[in-house]
Amino acid sequence: MKLLHLYHDIMNLYGDYANILALQRILEKSGEEVTIDRLSLNDSASLDDYDFIFIGSGTEKNQKVVLADFVKYKDQLADFIASGKPLLMTGNSFEMLGKTITDGDGKVYDGLSLYDFTVTEERGKRYTNDIIATPCISDQPIVGFINKSSMIYGVKNPMNTVTFGIGNNSDEMTEGVTDKHFYGTHITGPVLQKNPHFLVYIAELMLGKKPFEDHLTYEKKGYENTLKKLSERIK
Amino acid sequence: MKKFLTILICKLLRFVGKLIGKGSSMPGQIALKLCPDILKRVTLPKHIIAITGSNGKTSTVEMIAHILTKNGKTVAWNREGSNQIEGVTTMVLSNATLGGKVKADILLIESDERYAKKTFSYIDATDYVITNLYRDQLTRNGHPEFVFDAIAESIHDNTRLILNADDPLVSVFGNGRENVVWFGADELSSDEKELHSVYNDGAYCPICKAPMAYTTHHYNHIGHYACTACGYHRHDTDYAVTAVDLKEGWLELDGKYRVSLALKSLYNIYNILAAYTVARLVGIDGQAIADDMNDYVLKNGRVINFKLGDRSGTLLTSKHENSISYDHSLRVACACDSGADVLIIVDAVSRKYFTSDVSWLWDIDFEMLNHDNIHEIVLAGAYVNDLASRFSYTNIPQEKIKLFEDIAEAADYLKSDRKEYIYGITCFSDKEKFLSKVEEV
Repeated sequence: MKLLHLYHDIMNLYGDYANILALQRILEKSGEEVTIDRLSLNDSASLDDYDFIFIGSGTEKNQKVVLADFVKYKDQLADFIASGKPLLMTGNSFEMLGKTITDGDGKVYDGLSLYDFTVTEERGKRYTNDIIATPCISDQPIVGFINKSSMIYGVKNPMNTVTFGIGNNSDEMTEGVTDKHFYGTHITGPVLQKNPHFLVYIAELMLGKKPFEDHLTYEKKGYENTLKKLSERIK
Repeated sequence: MKKFLTILICKLLRFVGKLIGKGSSMPGQIALKLCPDILKRVTLPKHIIAITGSNGKTSTVEMIAHILTKNGKTVAWNREGSNQIEGVTTMVLSNATLGGKVKADILLIESDERYAKKTFSYIDATDYVITNLYRDQLTRNGHPEFVFDAIAESIHDNTRLILNADDPLVSVFGNGRENVVWFGADELSSDEKELHSVYNDGAYCPICKAPMAYTTHHYNHIGHYACTACGYHRHDTDYAVTAVDLKEGWLELDGKYRVSLALKSLYNIYNILAAYTVARLVGIDGQAIADDMNDYVLKNGRVINFKLGDRSGTLLTSKHENSISYDHSLRVACACDSGADVLIIVDAVSRKYFTSDVSWLWDIDFEMLNHDNIHEIVLAGAYVNDLASRFSYTNIPQEKIKLFEDIAEAADYLKSDRKEYIYGITCFSDKEKFLSKVEEV
C-alpha cells in the first residue's frame, strides 16, 4: 500500500508526522507491504497512485504558502475523495478545502472550493484547548488538542460533535468536516496514536477486514487516561 | 497621593505575601487595579534592560544580575520570576521609594513573551534582549510565529535590540533595523552539518518562505543559515561564543575569555553569551565577566544533584511542551561515557493550567537515547503510556525500557545496586514528586 504525507516539512506542527507512522505500523502488522512518500512544495504527485493521504497543521503563514502550491491538486483531490479512499487532514490544513480564508489583516485567499465553508483568522487571537468530540464514524469519543486562530462557518458535513472544547466556531458545537472518507479535523498532533479506535477504523477501510490490534496496548491505555482526565474536567 | 498609597499598599502586600509564602503577582495586580498607569507614574532608572524569548529568560536575567551586582551596579530585577505585568509591577514598586523613585542603577526585567506588549506599553526599555523562539507551551502560545507577532508589538523604535543571530526567526526583528546588537556562536566542535532532529523550524525562510540552507547547525534550527531565494541570512555577530569543549566543559567568548561550564552542555551557552553581551554593553570588562561566570551554578533550581540510596544522579529540569529543552537534556545524558540510566516523568503537563495534551512528546528526539551510554530508561507518571507509545516509535530496544505509572515506584525501582549515573528529566510541574523521594546534594 502506498501512503502519501504531503507538505511533511512545512505543515508539521507538534508531532503531526506521527499519524502516518501509526498507519504504516498497523498495516504492516496486518500483513501489508507499505511505502510512504513524503512530498512538499513544488513536488508533483499523482494522488490517484495512493491508498491514503495525510496533511498536517501549520502556522497561518505556512498554510498560505502551501495553499498557493496546493491548488494544483484541486481536481485530483476531488477525485480522490470521490473514490472513497481515506484522506486525513489535521489542524488548519483542511481549511484550504473551503471557499476562502481571510487572514488577520483582512486579506482574502481563495481556497480549493471543494466545500462551501469560509475561514476567518483573528489577529492576535488563539483558541487553544483540549477537546472531546463524538466523530461521525462511531459513538466512541475522539480526544485531542485544538490550537487555532480561526473561526470556520458554513460547514455542512462536520466530522465531530464537540462535548468539551471549541468547535468550528464559537456558536456551533460541531467540528471539522467530512465527506465520504475524507476526515478534516482541527485537532493537531498524533491524532491516530491518541485515538487508536480511529486508527483501527481507517486501517479497516483500507484492508477490507479487521486489522491487527494487539500492538496498540499503550495507545489504548493512553486514550482511556486522557478521556478520563478530560471527562473529569467537564464535571 | 494615589501614587504614594499604591506603592505603600503594594509594599505591604508583598511583605505579608512573603511571610505567608504567596507568589509575587498579587501585589502588583492590586496595585494596577488601584492605579492602572502606576508604572508610568514612577521614576525609573535611566537604564532599563528587558529580556524575553521562549527559553533561558530566567537563567539569563539571573546571570546578568549576578555580573552587574558583582561589578558594583545596583540592579532591580524580578528574581522571583513572575514575568507578566503584575509580577513586574510588584518588582518595580517593591524597589521604589514611597515617593516613586526606583532605587537602582539598572532596571532588569524578564518579560513573558506572549504578553510583553502590556508591560512595555508602560515601560520604555533601553535595551531589549530576545533569546530565541522555540516551540513552547503550545497549549498557551500557539506556535513560534504567533509569539513572534506578539513580541513585535512590544518593541519600541528607540529601543536597542540585542538579538540571537543564530535563531532565524528572532533575527527577523533586526532585519533592516539600525540599533541592533547581535550575539551568536561561531561554528562549534559540537555542531552538526546534517540536522538530527524530529522537525526543522528553520527549513523555510521566515521572510519569504523559500527553502533555507544551513552551513552548520548548533542544535535544532539554531545555526548558520541563509535563504536560497531572498538573501536573508544570519547576521555577523558583535559578541560571540568562539569555541566550546563539552568534554572538558568550557566555552570561549570573543576568542579571549574562557568560561568553565557547571553543566557540560550547550544548554546554557546562549544564556551566558546573552549575559556577557549585556554586561559588555553596560561597560564591564570582558575578563571580569568571564571570572564571574566561571562554574556559575544557577540558583534557580534547574539542575539538582541527588543521591538515591547508593546511586548518584542529576535532575535536569526541562520544560514539558518544549522539545528543544528536552533535546538538550537528552544530549547531556548521552554524553555520560561511564553509562547512565534515564528517568523521564510526565505526570502533570503544566503546573499553571490544565491540559492533557502530549503531542509535544512526538517532537522530542528520543531516538538520541538509542546510544551505548544509555543503559536503562525508566518512564513514569500519569502519561506513562503516551511516553511508551512514543518510545515504541524509536529503535531503542524495548527491553531497556521500564514503565511505572507511580513516580514513587519508579524511584524505588531506581534505588538499586546498579552503578549507572541517573539522569532525571522532567518539568517544574513534576520535579517535586521525584525530589521528595531522593536526597538532594
